[in-house]
Amino acid sequence: MSDHESYLSQVADVIRGLFDEYDGPITMETTARDVPQWDSLSHVRLMVLIEQELGVRFSTTEVQGFQNLGSLIDAVVKHKN
Amino acid sequence: MSSLFPWRRPLEEGWGARVSEIEAVVASGRMPDYASVRAAANQQLGPREQLRIERLAKRIEKVEAKGFTRMELGLLGSRTLSYLREPLGAAGLARGLLVSGHEAPYDHVASFAFSGHNCFERRLDAVLAVLGEASFQGLRPLLDRAAEDEALHEAERLVSAIGAAARSKTGCPVIIATLPPPLQLASADSATPGSSARFRLRINRMLADGAAERRWLIWDQAALAARVGLERWFDPIAYHSAKAPFSVQLCPLAADSVASLLAAMSGRSARALVLDLDNTLWGGVIGDDGITGIRIGQNSAEGEAFVAFQHFLLGLRARGVVLAVCSKNTDAIAREPFRHHPDMVLKEEHIAVFQANWDDKATNIRAVAEALGLGLESLAYVDDNPAERERVRRELPLVSTIEVGEDPSFFIERIARSGLFEHLPLNSDDLARASSYGGRAAVAEIRARVGNYEDYLKSLEMQMTISPFDAVSRPRIVQLINKSNQFNLTTRRYDDEDVSRMQEDRELLGWQVRLDDRFAQHGMIGVVIIRKHGAEWEIDTWLQSCRVLERGVEQGIMNSLFKEASAAGVESIRGRYIPTERNGMVSEFYPRLGFEVVTKSGDGSMNFACGVARYAPHPVFMNISLLR
Repeated sequence: MSDHESYLSQVADVIRGLFDEYDGPITMETTARDVPQWDSLSHVRLMVLIEQELGVRFSTTEVQGFQNLGSLIDAVVKHKN
Repeated sequence: MSSLFPWRRPLEEGWGARVSEIEAVVASGRMPDYASVRAAANQQLGPREQLRIERLAKRIEKVEAKGFTRMELGLLGSRTLSYLREPLGAAGLARGLLVSGHEAPYDHVASFAFSGHNCFERRLDAVLAVLGEASFQGLRPLLDRAAEDEALHEAERLVSAIGAAARSKTGCPVIIATLPPPLQLASADSATPGSSARFRLRINRMLADGAAERRWLIWDQAALAARVGLERWFDPIAYHSAKAPFSVQLCPLAADSVASLLAAMSGRSARALVLDLDNTLWGGVIGDDGITGIRIGQNSAEGEAFVAFQHFLLGLRARGVVLAVCSKNTDAIAREPFRHHPDMVLKEEHIAVFQANWDDKATNIRAVAEALGLGLESLAYVDDNPAERERVRRELPLVSTIEVGEDPSFFIERIARSGLFEHLPLNSDDLARASSYGGRAAVAEIRARVGNYEDYLKSLEMQMTISPFDAVSRPRIVQLINKSNQFNLTTRRYDDEDVSRMQEDRELLGWQVRLDDRFAQHGMIGVVIIRKHGAEWEIDTWLQSCRVLERGVEQGIMNSLFKEASAAGVESIRGRYIPTERNGMVSEFYPRLGFEVVTKSGDGSMNFACGVARYAPHPVFMNISLLR
């Protein structure tokens, strides 16, 4: 598994924990619009959980600027290296 | 990362399965078991467990959950407090509360304070206001003392207005958060008029003074921020991107701190601390090491830590917390250090109940509760031995067993952080409480010796004093009105302003009742409010402290009331019983005192009446003074 894939599976885990009613696919293309429970309030919770779980800290620009999970994972990889 | 809740038990094995069981019960619309829910929430939850308990709290709110106290909390902030709402639910469960947070729309501080509009549109039990420095208007140029004074005045005006609005719009008290210090630029910040650091210090001082005068309550956010560290508390990214006044990650901790305050407001703080002895109050085992072998005092680091811990315990006692001992030991040996070790800070006289024997801890803790006349939920337990803690948790889940660890240097921190002894501004009755319970335990012993109850009551040499409401006693009167749940016929809550008005009202009789006996001054133990409607008087409020039951207190007060009524030419007295989850003990109050049922309503409340001419005084065994 590449770094990207393994981080995606960790992030997917967090997403399913937070958005317990969502059982659709979680891919690099997934965005907040795909998940009904994912509103601006829960977005903040999600960012905090991902930061805790993966041991990273997103910047002010990043936390609000992710296009989809792919760009979030890119940021994780960038912070990890 | 270490847990946010180190004073709670580590996550127990099989936690997930236990929570699943509770979730299933709730999903089927049934009522989950109170003790199991509280125990599941009151653990060192990680982020995911935290989420699950938050979700559970939301679901339990919807079923009528017995045992929990509901608290509707208004949230008013200059930034968003949305991130506190769900953690508040979870923190509440761990403390026996069902907390629902209702957030005011964004930036409604001034509108709530000064306009006629009520953004909460509902009844609340408290409003929590977390204001930022920006909520306080007024320019403060550096070195301009007059401008700073003026800004402080404005700030006080705003806080008072929020308090008044909370009372008039939602009928509840307001809790104001103190302000954490800003990240400082220079050590001289606080010495520089107009600086943010200095202004916040002065605001906090103003808030503390107002709380001491009981104009509002405070949630000491500044102290919590200091404890976890300002650099962790204040998260600049969350501040800008999420409008969060403090770290979102720390919201569960903030929520727990607020919940401990709400627990104190609803009378749910721990009232007694039960202590193990060996390796909890001193190092070593008294039975094996003997009085010369145990470690206490300046001879070792460990000995010093135990001395510090004992000083801390004495400080708790000074605030009214009752201390008790529960130890597997021979009684005489266990008492030896208290009597003969020169470095012991705690003496026998500080311990209200001393249970040293070879029975198991759970049995002894139950005995402590009984001797003190307290429910198990009012007890906290401290023991260095993890196995004993585990056993007590399993057998007595309602007792708060604190995870103190095994190192005496951390005992103080864990107990302080637990928030179990959170309290509102104290009054002199609170301070006397610990020794009053000591007296109670002595009473229990006499009671065992004196067979005849009447003789026993006489032997107490009780003196009851009934007097009208006055300014000096008002804080305690208000406290009793708002805290008493069990011996309370109508559970009507009145705040300081209401009681102050009653004091002046000539159509109203407000009585405060005090009781002393030869063992203790119990302080104020009852409040009665009578509304005079011509020839008929109505008992609006009748409540008593559960500290002195079965003493003939209610009979004594009722006799005095009828005597007063008769002298005023009153024909009858009416009373009402409004049932709640917690006042079942007084459902038979009026019939027992000679009243007859007049009407019953659908909600279970009942109206009673008794003609003044018909009333037969009850025998009482105390001296009663009635001051007018």
